Amino acid sequence: MSGEFVFVSCTVNGAAREFHVRPEEMLIDVLRDRLALTGTKLSCDLGACGACTVLLDGKPVSSCGTFAWQADGADVRTVEGLVAADGRLDPVQRAFVENSAFQCGFCTPGMIMLARALLDRDPAPDRPAIRAWMGANICRCTGYEMIIEAVEKAAELTAETGE
Amino acid sequence: MNEVSPILHVVGQDLARTDAVPKTTGTATYTVDISFPGMLHAKVLRSPHAHARITAIDASAARNMPGVHAVVTRDDLDGLNPTYGYFIKDQPIVAIDKVRYIGDTVAAVAAETELQAVAALERITVEYDLLPVVPTIDTAMAEGAPELFEEEPMGIVPAYGQGASGARRIGRNNCYRFSYETGAAEAFDTCDRIFEDRFVFSRDQHFHLEPFVTVARMDGDVIEIWTSSQNPFPLRKELARVFQYPENQIRVKVPYLGAGYGAKNNCKTEPIAILLARMSGRPVRYCMTTEENFLTQCQHAAILDVRTGVMADGTFVARSGRILLDAGAYSDASPLVAEKAGYRLPGPYKWQHLNIDCDCILTNTTPAGPYRGFGGTQASWASESQIDIIARALGRDPLDLRMQNVKDLGEAYVPGESGIDSDLRAGLQLVADRAGYGERSHGDGRGMGVSIGFKDAGGVNKPAQARVRITTTGGVYLECGTIEIGQGIHTSMSQIVAELLNTGLDRVVYPGLNTDYTPFDQGTNASSAVVVMAQAVQQATLEAKQKVLDFAARELDCSVDEIELDDWSIRKGNESHPLAPMVMRYYGGTGYEFTGAGFFKPEMDHAAPLETQCVSWEFGWGAAEVEVDRDTGLIHLRQLVVSGDAGRAINPLVCRGQDEGSAVMGLTGVLFPCMVYDGAMLMNGNGLDYRVPLATDIPDGFVSILQEQGHGPGPFGAKSLGEGCMLPVASAIANAVEDAIGVRIRELPLTPERVLAAIDRAAAGDTGA
Repeated sequence: MSGEFVFVSCTVNGAAREFHVRPEEMLIDVLRDRLALTGTKLSCDLGACGACTVLLDGKPVSSCGTFAWQADGADVRTVEGLVAADGRLDPVQRAFVENSAFQCGFCTPGMIMLARALLDRDPAPDRPAIRAWMGANICRCTGYEMIIEAVEKAAELTAETGE
Repeated sequence: MNEVSPILHVVGQDLARTDAVPKTTGTATYTVDISFPGMLHAKVLRSPHAHARITAIDASAARNMPGVHAVVTRDDLDGLNPTYGYFIKDQPIVAIDKVRYIGDTVAAVAAETELQAVAALERITVEYDLLPVVPTIDTAMAEGAPELFEEEPMGIVPAYGQGASGARRIGRNNCYRFSYETGAAEAFDTCDRIFEDRFVFSRDQHFHLEPFVTVARMDGDVIEIWTSSQNPFPLRKELARVFQYPENQIRVKVPYLGAGYGAKNNCKTEPIAILLARMSGRPVRYCMTTEENFLTQCQHAAILDVRTGVMADGTFVARSGRILLDAGAYSDASPLVAEKAGYRLPGPYKWQHLNIDCDCILTNTTPAGPYRGFGGTQASWASESQIDIIARALGRDPLDLRMQNVKDLGEAYVPGESGIDSDLRAGLQLVADRAGYGERSHGDGRGMGVSIGFKDAGGVNKPAQARVRITTTGGVYLECGTIEIGQGIHTSMSQIVAELLNTGLDRVVYPGLNTDYTPFDQGTNASSAVVVMAQAVQQATLEAKQKVLDFAARELDCSVDEIELDDWSIRKGNESHPLAPMVMRYYGGTGYEFTGAGFFKPEMDHAAPLETQCVSWEFGWGAAEVEVDRDTGLIHLRQLVVSGDAGRAINPLVCRGQDEGSAVMGLTGVLFPCMVYDGAMLMNGNGLDYRVPLATDIPDGFVSILQEQGHGPGPFGAKSLGEGCMLPVASAIANAVEDAIGVRIRELPLTPERVLAAIDRAAAGDTGA
C-alpha cells in the first residue's frame, strides 16, 4: 500500500495543483487536509447525504466517494471557489444569504455546489426541476422549501446580472 | 417593560443572518475543522454483543501497533469517576463490568492516523460471557428478565412541586418514573363515555450531519476542548466530576455546530478524547462516523396507554395515562424526557382530573436521549390521535371538539401553572382554513386531519446571564452562552441588542462560546433562548445603554431625559454629538468599554408542578391532507399546513425556517421507517439505509404560516419557537388517514404494511382498538 503513489494533476478552484496520492485516498481528504479547503464537509461517508458535494468538470460528485486519482486532469470546484477574486459571492451564495436558506450550515456548501451545477446546466429551471435536482442532498434543518426558493432566486439573480 | 422605539427598525426585519457569509462560503469553522500539529485520532472498539459480561480484556498488542500513542480500557480508569449521566450516573466512559448494547464502548485508541487507530483496535482481545438480551420494552419488563444493572447506580430524584413526583427502580429495568396527578379520580365516574387506547411511537435518530466530535488537548494543567456541544457548561461540570478536576481548569470552546436537535447534550466524545489526550500528551481528535452516531443517541420509542373520560356533549373530564419510554441501555436524559412526556400528555385542554405515570425502561439498544420535542412528540401523537377517536365516536367534527375543549388564552395549564400564552382556537382555525378543512371532500381515499402540538417551553428553573460590552467606537459585544446550533440565535439575539441600542445589526458581534469568558448558561435547549436568555440579554443591553446615557448627560451637562442614543451618537434636540470623541475626552485616548450585565430566572414556586411556572407554552398547529392508496397502503401527503406562534418574530425568515424544519423532521417518524431493529441489532444505522425526508418527499402543499399573537414573555413579546411544528405532524396525518379511509392506525410510523393491515382489520369488522 505505502510507496504506491499515483500522480494527480488537476485544477482546484482555477489553480493548477499536483499531488502524489495513495490509491485509496479520497478526494475530500486531499481537499480538506492538503489544501485546507474545509468548506467541503464529510458526513455520511457513503455518498448518500451530499454534504461533501464538489464539482468535477462541472458535475456534482460526492468527494467522499471519489478517489483522489479520479480528479486527474479534471477541473475541481469547491464552495470556496465560487467567491470571486474581488470577494463577490456567486449568485447562488447570495441567494442563500438573502433567503436564509441554511441553518446549521453543515449541508450548505454541498447544497450550494449542487445548485450551482443545476444552474450551469439549466439557467431557468422550474420549481419541480429544482425540487427533483436538490433531492440529491440531505438537509436536516430547513425542510427544504427555503433552499428551493433560494435556487429560484439564484436563477433570477443570474438572469439579471448575466453572471 | 420594554424600552423600544415606537417603530422597530431591526427587530421584525428579515435581515440576513450574521452567520450567512461564513456558512455560504465555507469559512465557518466547526469542531470537525479544528486541527493541531501532532494531533492524534481516536477510534473506539464497540461491543458486538447486546448484553454480556466482560471476563477479560487484553490490549497489550494494540499498544505496540504502529502510530499508537494511547489505549484506554477499563484498566485505565484509576482516579476517575468513570460513569456519567443526567440524574443517574450509569454510563461508563468505557465498559467496566458489562456491555449493554451492540455498539457499547469497550476500548479506545489514539494513533497518528485513523487507519492506524482502527488497525490497533483489531488487536484488542475481549472475552465476553453472554447474557440474556432484552431489546424491547416488553421483554425488559417481563417476569424473569435480566436487569441491565444488578445494583442501583448512583443518582438522584429531583424535587417536584404540586402534584408531581419521581421515583427510581420501581420495577424491572425501570430506571425512572415521573408521575403527575391533579383533581379527584372520581371524575371518571361522572363521565358518559370512557375511551382507552394504546398508541405506539417508533424512534428516529437525530441524523445531525456533523457527527459527535471533540478535539482535546492539555494546555499546561488545563483540559482544553473544542466540542460540538449544545450545553457546554453542564458538560464542563460533568467532566469535572468524571475527571475529579476543578471546573475552572476545564476550558470548553464551542465552534459552529453542525446541528444537534437535542443529541449534543452532555458527554459524548468528550471523555474519551480528554482521557487519550492526557495519556498521550498530544491533542486528540475523536470524531464519530455516522454509523457511530446511530450507536450513541436516538429518540425514545414509546408505548402510550391513554384513558380519557368525556361527557356525551363532548366535554373533556378526566384523563389518565401510562407511558413507557424505551430508554435504551443507559438512563441518559430519560428521566427528563419522562417528566416532559408525562407532563405534556394532557395537551392544552380543560380537565378536572389527570393521573399520569411515565416510566423509562432500559433495553439492550442505543441509549435514547434528548430529541427535539422532548417527550412532547410522543405525548402529542397519543393525545391528538385519541381526540379524533373520541370525536368520531361521539359523531362530532374533530376540529369542533378541540374548539370546545381547548384552554383559553391566559388560562392556567394545570393548578399552579402559568397561563397559556397563545390563542389556541385562532391558531387551529388558521391552519384549517388554509388547508380548506371546511370544504374538504373526504372518504374515497382522500381526507384531512388537524392537530395541536403542545409543549411547555423555556426549560425548568433555568437561570440566564448575559453581558453586553460597548467599545469606544460603538462596537457591541454580546456575551451569552446560547449556542448557534443552526436556529439563528446569534442573529436574533443581536437584532434584539441592536434594536435596544438604536443601532444597526452590523455593529453587534456575538463571540463564540468559551467557558473561561462566556457567562454561565445551562444549555441551548427547551426553546428557551428567546424567552429566558433573551430577557437577560435585554437587561444587560439596557444597563449598558443606561451607563452610556448617564455618561453623555454628564458630559453634555443636561438631563438624561433630554437625550437619546442614536447609533453611536447622542441626539439632543436637533444636535448630534458623536460618542467616540466624548468617551476619549473623558476616559483618555486609549478608550473605554461600557458594560452591562443581565440576569433572568423564573421564581421557585412549589405550587407549580415542576417547581417553577412554565415560562412560555409552545404550540404547533397542523392540518394534513392525504390520499391513501388502498391497494398499496401508500400514504400520499397532499398538504401539510403548519403554524407556530412567535409571539413577536425577531427575524421572520429565521422563524419560518424553524417551523418548516421542525415539521419536516416530524415527518420522519410518520412516513419513514425510523430505526429498524432485528432483535437488538440495528439494521439501518447508516446514511445510506436510513431514510430522512428529502426535498423530493415534500409535497407542493407544504406551507408554514407564522403567527405573531404578541403574548410572549420574551423581548417585544417573543415566544418560544422551533419545536412546536414537529409536534402535530404525526397525529394530523393519522387523523387524515382515518378521514380518508375510515381506519385508525395507532402505531408509528404509518408504513404501507400497517395501512394495509388496518384496512384488512376494518374489513373484518375489527376497529383495531
